[in-house]
Amino acid sequence: MPLSRPVRLITAALALATLTLAGCASGTTGTTAEAAKPVAGGSLTYAVNTEPTCFDAHISPQDITGEIDRNVVDSLVSEDSSGIFHPWLATSWTVAPNLESYTFQLRKGVTFTDGTPFNAAAVKANFDSIVAPATQSQYASSLLGPYTGTTVINNYEVKVSFSSPFAPFLQAASTAYLGFYSPKALAAHSDNLCAGGASSVGTGPFVFSSYTKGQSAVFTKNPNYDWGPANATHTGPAYLSQLTFRFLPDSATRVGSLSSGQAQVIRSVPAAQVKSLQETSGVTVQELEQPGGAYNLWLNTTVAPLNDQKVREALQRGINISADVNAVYFGVYQRAWSPLTPSTQGYDASLANTWSYDPTLSNQLLDEAGWTGRNAQGYRTKDGKVLSIEWPLLPAEYITDQRDVLGQAIQADLRKIGVEITRPQYDIGTYLQRAYAGKEGILDSSWSRDEPDVLWLFYNSASISAGGQNATFYKDPTLDALTDAGRATLNKTTRDQDYDQVQQDVINLATTIPIYNPVTIVGSQNSVHGLTYDPNDWALFYGVWLAR
Amino acid sequence: MTVNTTVLGAIARRLAAALAVMLGAATIAFGALQLVPGDPVQILLGQNNTASPAVRAQIAARFGLNESVPLQYLRYLDHLLHGDLGQSYQLQQPVSGLISSQLWPTVQLMIGAMVVAVVLAVFSALLTAGRWPVLRAVSSVGELIAVSSPSYWVGIILLTVFSFQFHVFPVAGDQNFASLVLPAITLGLPVAGLLAQVLREGLETALGQPFVLTARARGVGQNGVRLKHAFRHAAIPLVTLTGWLTGTLLGGAVLVENIFGRPGIGALTLEAVTNKDMPVVIALVLLSAFFFVLISTVVDLLYLIIDPRLRTG
Repeated sequence: MPLSRPVRLITAALALATLTLAGCASGTTGTTAEAAKPVAGGSLTYAVNTEPTCFDAHISPQDITGEIDRNVVDSLVSEDSSGIFHPWLATSWTVAPNLESYTFQLRKGVTFTDGTPFNAAAVKANFDSIVAPATQSQYASSLLGPYTGTTVINNYEVKVSFSSPFAPFLQAASTAYLGFYSPKALAAHSDNLCAGGASSVGTGPFVFSSYTKGQSAVFTKNPNYDWGPANATHTGPAYLSQLTFRFLPDSATRVGSLSSGQAQVIRSVPAAQVKSLQETSGVTVQELEQPGGAYNLWLNTTVAPLNDQKVREALQRGINISADVNAVYFGVYQRAWSPLTPSTQGYDASLANTWSYDPTLSNQLLDEAGWTGRNAQGYRTKDGKVLSIEWPLLPAEYITDQRDVLGQAIQADLRKIGVEITRPQYDIGTYLQRAYAGKEGILDSSWSRDEPDVLWLFYNSASISAGGQNATFYKDPTLDALTDAGRATLNKTTRDQDYDQVQQDVINLATTIPIYNPVTIVGSQNSVHGLTYDPNDWALFYGVWLAR
Repeated sequence: MTVNTTVLGAIARRLAAALAVMLGAATIAFGALQLVPGDPVQILLGQNNTASPAVRAQIAARFGLNESVPLQYLRYLDHLLHGDLGQSYQLQQPVSGLISSQLWPTVQLMIGAMVVAVVLAVFSALLTAGRWPVLRAVSSVGELIAVSSPSYWVGIILLTVFSFQFHVFPVAGDQNFASLVLPAITLGLPVAGLLAQVLREGLETALGQPFVLTARARGVGQNGVRLKHAFRHAAIPLVTLTGWLTGTLLGGAVLVENIFGRPGIGALTLEAVTNKDMPVVIALVLLSAFFFVLISTVVDLLYLIIDPRLRTG
């Protein structure tokens, strides 16, 4: 079962305690709340902050779509929090030595909730539908990478092939985005799987019963479910009879609905309210560090003055990141040292404390770069030009986590070393246009996915083109080779070495300034047991039960 | 016979004017959205998106975004004349279905809010106009506070007290009458404040008129004078203002639906405008134009009922 990191630590500590007790032969058996016997039945309401615009995980790139659809669709394999894959709808698999094809043995006796059997043809129908241009997949098709096709070997054996080595496929196959809808539903409702509701038919532990736009999505237990992932804590159907996702965009309303018992679990608790919620009786707060890209500032290496590495380094060392992050997030979020968060596979822990705040060094670097003059406002100048960099603000409705406030702290730090940061706020159209055209000095974003292959998106030069995510616009053969190589091997040691090198290189080149590690904060009532999270920190409800 | 043709003519004129208003609104909305910079496909996909250029081209072709603007406009009008509001870019569903599923909760909310507003305003104004200086001052201050409190704040306070603390009403959603109470009060309170101020002013002016003295001389009691004579006089500006405010409630619903997690047109509008979801935005503009036309017609009819002098024309 993919436990979240804090939970994992606690579980490990409990296991250790149990062992010690057993060693003492005291005969005490764990009768903590967690160890109590699960009871079936009951209805749980989970209040979330965003509502999917489209419920079809094959089309939508939204996190919330993945989290909701996880209850309806199953995947070939299941990934645990240490990056190990377990059987799910595939009982076993083999990977071709060149990583260009994967062969899966499928589980027998699995049926979709409309009665259609799950078999090799269903796998093929789903994967082929994802890459079909008519589907207009915005994310799932990129998870299939250089996909060339699926071959049905027999009813319960399929081979998925790629045109080049593709190591991230198992991780991709474990996500809800590559989960399976009933081929019957795919054919009959290809137009309105986005609409959710009863047309979304999968093999999952819950059935999508109804959706009221602007309010809630309701799921009921799939009583025939008997094919949970091998790393789950139980087998058979889910415990809950009913699961409701309630869409409450306002954070005060969400927090109030939890503390008053109208929702049993809520996500996206604002950092400022963590403390008061922790003091509310009957409520538990969990902070889960998101895997994937940290909240990073991307420095565009193709525009002046950031094309000068000295200036980039000066910026990197001239922001008092620890103090800023602590002030804005009340110690709930931690500052980042790498473009990946510590909970991501392949994170390079050795980067910690290697590039601390050093305004003296920053000033020295800027002097060396020739920015020695000062204008009336105290900003540095060179040949009559002011050291000014544009870092646009997203439109207000897209700003999360008070990143605008954090930006003000960063602006103030850089002002101290004589760097002017301008933050115009464009409409989203202009913002995206300028960002993709490489006209901005600094851009900022975070990216949630438990797979170091996100570094390919961030740094491979092939990811600079339209729609690419490489906001450093830096073309470097070494980074290309390393991020390509990481995709082409399953050898953990090699991958770790490659990805460590990428993380160190981009910090040394100062193309990236990691700021903080995003945290998902989940609040739940103490009556909720067995709540676990997948590697993306999305709540899993298969094993959840309510104490009476 | 002549009466009938006059009435029919009046109705036809109204209808023609309504159509013109709605066409104008659709055209202005279409034009305004064209002025928003940026590539619509890119906006539709959002910031963190790995869609390939082929997918982007496919999306552009599907919604006709690769065509020239005049052509898009004509195509849009053509569809509109055939009663086809189009397909939402973002939600990939027919706009007509989206609106019809979201309309009723908002209408309920607006009716609820107007009932709250009118009842509170009429009660407060009739009770305190021109008498009991202390009570009058207190209710007047209360109304000013109601008018100037942001609905966001009022909503949170009401929720905290009546839902989180005392569990009288559910936090959110649109399930039953109980879930309508808090949102309706939140949306109606500022309107009540405004209406009460205007109505009291009107009542006090009317109470100073000679006809009130005449009525009193005929032996009509205090309440009779207020209800039968002064109120009817003061009701004309009340009705005008109520009509206009009902229209603006559509805007207020955006905030209230957000706080209370209610489905509705407000939430849909916010989402559509944010995502530049053109077919939905234009349909919503059409809907509100229709709404205003409808309300002004109702208000005109109400004038005839309230003021007999207008009937002889």
